[in-house]
Amino acid sequence: MKIKKRLGLILANTILIIASLSVLLPILWVIRTSIANRLIAYKIPPVWIFTPTLDNFRMIFETYPFQDYFLNSLIISTAASLVALLIGSLAAYSIARFRTGDPALRLSMLSTQMLPPIALVIPIFLIMNVIKLWDSMTGLVLAYLSFNLPYTVWILISFFQGIPVEMEEAAMIDGCSRFQSLIRIVFPVALPGLLSAGVYNFILNWNEFLFALILTGRNTRTLPVAISSLWTQQGVNIGAVSAATVITILPVILLTFVIQKFLVRNLTFGSVK
Amino acid sequence: MAKSSFFSNLPKHDQQTARNLVVPAMLGIWVVVLFPLLYALYVSVHDWILSQGGIGSFNFSNYFTVLKDPLLLNSAKNTVVLTISVVVLEILIGFGLALLLNNKGIRLRNIYLFILLIPMLMPPITVGLIWRLLLHPELGIINYVLSVIGLPQPLWLATPNLAMLTIIIVDVWHETAFIILVLLAGLTSMPEEIYEAAIIDGASSRQKFQFITLPLMAPTILVATIIRMIAALKTYDLVYILTRGGPGISTETISYYIYKVFFVALDVGKSSAMAFLLLLVIILMTFLLMKVMQKTEQNY
Repeated sequence: MKIKKRLGLILANTILIIASLSVLLPILWVIRTSIANRLIAYKIPPVWIFTPTLDNFRMIFETYPFQDYFLNSLIISTAASLVALLIGSLAAYSIARFRTGDPALRLSMLSTQMLPPIALVIPIFLIMNVIKLWDSMTGLVLAYLSFNLPYTVWILISFFQGIPVEMEEAAMIDGCSRFQSLIRIVFPVALPGLLSAGVYNFILNWNEFLFALILTGRNTRTLPVAISSLWTQQGVNIGAVSAATVITILPVILLTFVIQKFLVRNLTFGSVK
Repeated sequence: MAKSSFFSNLPKHDQQTARNLVVPAMLGIWVVVLFPLLYALYVSVHDWILSQGGIGSFNFSNYFTVLKDPLLLNSAKNTVVLTISVVVLEILIGFGLALLLNNKGIRLRNIYLFILLIPMLMPPITVGLIWRLLLHPELGIINYVLSVIGLPQPLWLATPNLAMLTIIIVDVWHETAFIILVLLAGLTSMPEEIYEAAIIDGASSRQKFQFITLPLMAPTILVATIIRMIAALKTYDLVYILTRGGPGISTETISYYIYKVFFVALDVGKSSAMAFLLLLVIILMTFLLMKVMQKTEQNY
């Protein structure tokens, strides 16, 4: 019995190690390529030991304006996320506390997030062309609100419902208005939820490709669009592509672990907590 | 109290506040979602090819053309193959790994979990790029390793049947983390007492799995499956970065085909009609998701 159990554990660990390696090795390989010089990056069979260099990173910032793309991504992702948080949290509070428009309004928030982006991006592109918002940050921020906003409302409803009404009632007996109790009591208590929704939206925006591909041009290109064109322009400049990939992934991985506690809830639209 | 009367029973000033608070969000959604969708619906029942000038006459011909379009059928077939394959593989692998991670004897559990979750929120474009580098016929490490151990070195992304398989593998690499995370959360929140009772009754590990774990996990597995299916039906990024629908049209998904009809053929009417058909499928799936969520009563 004991031997059987031990064998089971060895088998389980072996499988988990193989799975972990298959996740880790591709990423490590790209990191390795990003710090290899031009000659080494192209070498097959590969050279295993070499002096690392930051040339590739220097190149994507000097030859291509990757700092601009990075900034575009940062500004657009943050702006859409913040606007969604600002107006989405108010609506979520209203739906949670007063059941405004229940259940149609609440359910429309769930279904809106599921819309296929290709169905939205075509009309949005046509409209942006008419109102001259194509290749503008405002345009892309508006487009991102189409999924940030319903997501924020939907996910925050459950956070607000978790806050006991009595807390607010106590504050209102002490002389707070409804709005003051919202600002002073509800928001601070729901802060972890607000933060996780905001960060999650930021990650979605940072990763978004189809809207960005169609709605941005020379002035507002975001990182995913920029690196996807890096491949075609250059044939295969392996080092530069790797460096750009590392730069794009890094913030996301860091943020993912910041909101780790809420990820399950974020990813399953609150259905699994 | 009936649900509908809750709102009307509120004091008047609270009703007013409640309405005011949802106004900005509603306006926002009307502007960025509802209006574009209505516009797309309007466009979809008109002839409109950008290269031939402005919007044409009102008719339903786009929908008729589209339903008879063999290329749409091809992309629909590809999308279904892709969706079913990735969802089945991800659920199987993800559930398996979640079960292993849930085993108390695994000492390095947190390290494994940390590593396994890394791909989860990586931008799909970067995932595609990483794999293009690895799978490159001459410069990629994978074919080099295959050559060293004496195996054939296929053109992963340029061989008709293999290209779809490659996209499936990359998607599994990317998205299985989601399944692991969600199912592990389900597993760890299961009541311990049931297992203890089962052990007292002399249940074997297999019986415990079959009669406790599986039935209790079923709702969570179902939710995860539907969420992944909805996402997979919309697959675009991976196809764009890995194959551009090729070789030929062998990996064209619905989203990618619509994109092509819009940006290459510039057929606004036809692409909008197809987008609406896809929308319909997604709405049906979402409806299913809501039903499941309601039934499991796990949504708050």
